[in-house]
Amino acid sequence: MKTLHRFLIRLRNLVTGRRGDQRLREELEDYVAREAEANMQAGMSEEEARRQARMKLGAAEAIRERYHAEEGLPLLECLAQDTRFSLRQMRRSPGFTLVVVLTMALGIAATTTMFTVVYSTLLRSLPYPQSERIVAIHDTRIAGRSAGGLMTGPRFYDIEARNRSFSSLTFFYFDESTLVAGKKLPIYVNAAAANAGFWDVFDTAPMLGRVLNAKDDMPHAPLTVVLSYPGWQRLFGGDPNVIGEQVTLDQQTATIVGVMPRDFSAPAGVDFWRAAQFVPNSWGNYRGDGLRSFNVFGRLRRGVTPAQAQGDLDRIGEQLRREYPSSDGAWRFTSETLREDRYGHVQPALMALLIASALLLLIACINVANLLLSRATARQREVALRRALGASGRRVAFQLLVESGLLALAGGGTGILLAFALTRTAATSLPGILGRPGTIHMDGIVIEVALLISLATGIVFGVAPVLETRKVQLHSALKQGEARLGGSSGNWLRSVLVGVQVGLSLVLLVGASLLAESLWNLMKLPLGFEPEHLLTFRLALPWDTRPEVARNFYNDVQQRIENLPGVEAAGQINSPPMLDFHLRGSYDADWLPQVANQPAISADSRSIAGNLLVAMGTPLLAGRAFSAEDQVSTLPPVLVNEALVREFLPKGNPIGHHLLLDGQAHEIVGVVADVRGVSGAIAAEPGPAVYSPANADGSWHRYFLVRTNVPPEQVVKSIREQVYQADPRQSLGRIETMDQLLSDAVAQPRLNAAVVASFAGIALLLACVGIYGVVSYFAAQRTQEIGVRMALGATRGDITRLFVRRAMVPAAIGLATGTVVSLAADRLLRSQLYGVQPDDLRLYLASLLVLLAPLLVATLRPAIRAGKTEPMEALRTE
Amino acid sequence: MPHSMKSKKDVQPGTLALMVLKTLDVMGELHGYGIARRIEQISGDILFVNQGTLYPVLLRLEQEGAIASEWGPSENNRRARFYRLTRAGRKLLETEKHDWEQTAAIIARFFEVKAEDLA
Repeated sequence: MKTLHRFLIRLRNLVTGRRGDQRLREELEDYVAREAEANMQAGMSEEEARRQARMKLGAAEAIRERYHAEEGLPLLECLAQDTRFSLRQMRRSPGFTLVVVLTMALGIAATTTMFTVVYSTLLRSLPYPQSERIVAIHDTRIAGRSAGGLMTGPRFYDIEARNRSFSSLTFFYFDESTLVAGKKLPIYVNAAAANAGFWDVFDTAPMLGRVLNAKDDMPHAPLTVVLSYPGWQRLFGGDPNVIGEQVTLDQQTATIVGVMPRDFSAPAGVDFWRAAQFVPNSWGNYRGDGLRSFNVFGRLRRGVTPAQAQGDLDRIGEQLRREYPSSDGAWRFTSETLREDRYGHVQPALMALLIASALLLLIACINVANLLLSRATARQREVALRRALGASGRRVAFQLLVESGLLALAGGGTGILLAFALTRTAATSLPGILGRPGTIHMDGIVIEVALLISLATGIVFGVAPVLETRKVQLHSALKQGEARLGGSSGNWLRSVLVGVQVGLSLVLLVGASLLAESLWNLMKLPLGFEPEHLLTFRLALPWDTRPEVARNFYNDVQQRIENLPGVEAAGQINSPPMLDFHLRGSYDADWLPQVANQPAISADSRSIAGNLLVAMGTPLLAGRAFSAEDQVSTLPPVLVNEALVREFLPKGNPIGHHLLLDGQAHEIVGVVADVRGVSGAIAAEPGPAVYSPANADGSWHRYFLVRTNVPPEQVVKSIREQVYQADPRQSLGRIETMDQLLSDAVAQPRLNAAVVASFAGIALLLACVGIYGVVSYFAAQRTQEIGVRMALGATRGDITRLFVRRAMVPAAIGLATGTVVSLAADRLLRSQLYGVQPDDLRLYLASLLVLLAPLLVATLRPAIRAGKTEPMEALRTE
Repeated sequence: MPHSMKSKKDVQPGTLALMVLKTLDVMGELHGYGIARRIEQISGDILFVNQGTLYPVLLRLEQEGAIASEWGPSENNRRARFYRLTRAGRKLLETEKHDWEQTAAIIARFFEVKAEDLA
C-alpha cells in the first residue's frame, strides 16, 4: 500500500514535471548559512566560514541526483532526459546520424523482408481451420520418376474405402474450359474439379452463397460452380448478385452457387471449383497411368499423427501392390503436411536467403559499432567531464546505451518502412507460389520482432563504446591534447570488428557467386528448342467431344494460323516444355526382354500434331516426322527422344523397332533431340520421351506453338479472330511467349542470385566504409606519432605501409576465417546450386579478388594521406 | 580545521530514518540542519550526518506520511522548512523501535553466548 502510494506520488511528480529543485536549493542554502554561522562563531572569517560550509556539504550535483532519485521515478526520468540529450547529440552531427541510421536501416530492411517471407510461408498458420491436420497424399513410383505426385482415380477411392486415419479425403484436378456468361464472348477459364470431400478437408465458409455438397457431386447432377474471389472479380466484376446466375460451361448450363473469400487458394489460380461427379467405379476395370491427374489431400482424424497416417497409407499401398500388380505394382503412397507440400520446395532457398540477410544485418551492426566506437573515443573528454561533475559510471553508460538504442530504433524504424515497401513489391513479384496474392504480408508480429532486433542490436553493439568509456582516466582525458604515442586501447577491438566484417562479406560474396554461376549454368543449358519468337496458347474443347470433331476443329485452326502473315510455322502438343504437366506412359520394347507387370520403359508421353517440330525448332535427328496418314492411323507410329535411345538402345538404330503399349506395337519412325523442362523443371536432365500423333487419339485439349517472324504478341489478335471464326464457342487460354515461360522457369534461381548478390554488394560497400573509417581513425589518432617517426627518418612509404599493415592484417585474418566459414556455410546452398560445387576454387579466388580490390583502395587512400603528413605540422598539432 | 571528520562514522544505511523519527519525537518541530546537528549531538559526535543522505530520507518519510513539513519563520528572521512527526509517524516509530530492540537483543545474545551455554 505504502509502496503504491509512493509510486503514485512519484508518478505525479514525473507527469506534472513538479521538481523539488527549488525546495532542495532552499534547504541546502539554509544548511550552508547555518553551518557558516556556526563556523563564524567558532572564529572564522565570513568567507572562510562559507567555504568550509560548502566543502562539508559535498558535491551538490551528487546530492541533487540522490534527492531526485527519491523524488521521481529515476529510471524513467533518466530515460526521458537521456533521450532529449541524445536527440540533441544526433542533431548536432547529422552526417554521423545519417550514416548510422542508413546502415542499420539496410540491415534491418533486408532481414525484415526476408523474415516476412519466411514467416508468411513457413511459420504462420495456413488459412484453414486446424490446417496442421491437412496432409497432401502423393502417388510415388517406388523407383524412377513419378508423375508429380498425381494419383489415379481408382487408387484415390481405394484409400477412401480402406483408410482408418482420415476424417475426410479430397481430390481435385485442373480443368480448363470455356465459359459463356450471358451474351458475352466466350472466356477461357481455369477450374478445379473436386469431390464433395474437398469442402470438408479445407473447411472454409464461402463469402457469398454456399459451397458444394454430396448432391452436387452425384453423376449427372445439375452443374454447380463456386467462384474464387479472383474469378468473381475477373468474370463478373465482383457483382454481389451473381449467386443463382446461369452460365454456359463447355456448352452445358451451370449455376453459380457461391463465392469463396479472397485468401482461399486451394489451389491458387483457379476461377472456380466445380463438382467432379465421379464415383468409385467411374473407371471400370482400368487402373492405368493415363489417369494420373488427381491432387489428393486428407484431413486427419482427431488424435491421428501424420506418421500414423503414413503407416496406414503404407498398408493400403502394400495391399494394392498385391491386388493389382500390373498397374499398381510399382507405386506407393507418400504424404506430407500441407505446409511441406506448399512451401517445402522453397524452404531451403528461403532459409539460405534469411541467413544471408542476417549476415548483412550483422555486418551493418559491426559498422555501426565501429562508428559508435570512434565517436566514443572522440567524446572521452565529454564523458570525463560528466564523471568529474559527479555523474556515476553507470549513469554515463546508461546515457550512451540510450543513445545507441535510439540510433538503432531510428535505423530500425526506417528499415521497417523500407521493408514494408519491399514486402509489397515482393508480394506480387516473387516467383511461383511465393507471389500468390495474399501469401506474403507483414503483420504486427514481424514488426515487433524487427523492432526488438533493432533495439537489441543497438544495445549489444552500443556496449563496445561503453566499455571504452569505462576505461577513461579522468585526469588524463581532461587534459587537452594528451600526446598519444604507440597503440591506444580499443584499437584491437576495431581490428577484430574489421576482420569479422571482411570475413562475413566474403561469405556473402562467395554465396552470391555460387548462385550466379548456377543461374548462368541454367540459362546456357541446351534447351532442345528455339525459345525466341515462339507463342504458346491453349485451346480446350469439352472433354467429351468426339475425336473426329476435335480433329477437324484443330486441323481447321492449324490451317488458319499457318495462313496468317507473320507466322512461320505452327504445331500442336498436349503440353509444351516449361509447364508443370505430368503425363507418363509405361512401355515395353520389342528389343528388350518383357517381364509381366514390369514395363521396361517409363517415359514422358506427348502427343503432337501440325508442324510441331519445325515450329518448336526441335531437330529431328534420324528418321522422319509424322505424316498426315500417321495422324489418322489406327496403329500410329511414334517418335522417341535421344535420352530414350541412349538409355535403352545405346548401340543400335531404333528406327523400325517397336514400342509396345497395351499389347499394340507402335513403330519408331524418328528420333528427336532431347527437350529440356518437359514436365516443368528446367534443372532436371531430360529423361526418355515418346511422341505420338495427337489426332490419332483425338485428344480434346491442345497447346498451339506458333513460330513468328514478328514479335509474337503481334499475332495474338488475329489468331483470336481466326479461332472465333472456326468456332465462336471457343476461346484462347494461357497465352504466353516461350521467353516468358523460360524466364519463369529460372525465376527462383534468378531471385536467389539477385538477392544474395545485392546483399553481397551492400556488404562490400559497408566493409569498405568500415575499413576506410578505421584507417582514417588510426591515422588521425596518431598524427603526432607520424611526426615523430618522420622526424626520426621514416619515409612516406614507411608511414603508408604502417597503416596498410594495420588494416590489412585483420582483414587478411578475416578473409582466411571467412573462407573457412564459407566452405561450411555454402553447403547449405547445395540444393540451390546447378552445375557448380559449393567448394569451387575459382569462385573463391574470384570473390577474394573482388573483395580485396576495393578494400585495398579504401585502405590506401587514408594511408597515403597519412604518409603525406608534414612532420613539422604533425608535431605542432598537439 | 574546526571539524575533523576522520574519526566520525557515517550513519549506517536504514538507521537514519529511525534516528530522524526519534529526534522529531523528542524535539518537536525542527528544520533539516537542526535534525542533522541533533543526531550528531545525540550520538556523542561519533556520527556524521551527510546532508546528501538526509534530504532524500526526509523526502521519503514525508511521502510515506510519517512526517509533515511546512515553511515557517525561524530565528534570525530566516525562513526554513520545519519537519514534525505525524500520528502515522509516531506509530511507525513505535513499530520500528520495537523491531530494533528485538534485533538488538538477539544480536546481544549472540555476542554473549559461550560454548558451555550450548552444551
